[in-house]
Amino acid sequence: MSLGNQTRMLRRLACAVGLSALLAATPGCVPFIAYDGYDDYPPDAYVATTAPVYFEGRPMYWYGNRWSYREGGRWNHYDREPPALYQRRMQGPPVRRSYEPPRGRPAAGHFGGRPNGRR
Amino acid sequence: MHAVLTPPERAALIDKVEAHWSVWQKANAEEADSANPEGSRLAMLATDLGLTQDQVAKIRAGLSEGMKAVPRLDPQEIATHIQAFGKAFRGEKFDAKALTGANSANAHLAGWGAAHLAHFVEAVSPVLTPDQRAEFAQRLREHSVHSNGGNE
Repeated sequence: MSLGNQTRMLRRLACAVGLSALLAATPGCVPFIAYDGYDDYPPDAYVATTAPVYFEGRPMYWYGNRWSYREGGRWNHYDREPPALYQRRMQGPPVRRSYEPPRGRPAAGHFGGRPNGRR
Repeated sequence: MHAVLTPPERAALIDKVEAHWSVWQKANAEEADSANPEGSRLAMLATDLGLTQDQVAKIRAGLSEGMKAVPRLDPQEIATHIQAFGKAFRGEKFDAKALTGANSANAHLAGWGAAHLAHFVEAVSPVLTPDQRAEFAQRLREHSVHSNGGNE
């Protein structure tokens, strides 16, 4: 699936969920998307803005030099990087979306940003 | 949408909804944090519109008074709804209409947001010069259509 198709699908999904769209539609929403330095597992701002890689039936996030995933509501990670994920990582950085307004403009809202990365 | 997603994609969507809610809460907590005035939306506006210190002081006074009228948002209600959504969406079958409480949570969040924005505009507008007001209005219009000038 192309990046454009993925983006459009996620946008539709967000609208379908309703609440997610409302989170962004309300005025105080996400003026800055930033994560507070290094952490063992991906912080919420990273998860909210980064496209996962699907592997072994789970969404994965490359963060802090390792692949992390949720399992039973908790984060877990691979101690050894699976070859398939290594190959995937070598193709380029994860697709990220920026919600930060250009030069201090008010945040544009849900899915209002642009991808920072490329697959 | 549930039908076209694979289980991992559903899990990713749920993760993102939860993450957005967490970030939203943090952003709005910072907004309300008087100990962190430089991180507030007013500080951003002061920079963007070139507000004087006197203007900022007047707006801040108006905000503190006006925000008292904004109905309180119960984060637990929203969190409960998101948890219920996540649990339901992970399943093989999903019926959005069965999510009782969704309308209430959405209405409260939207109502809080609308009231919050209305009071913000009420506090800011009278203090601005005509040029600043025009720029402020333009930014509100951009915000209303979720556009930052370069969206696909």
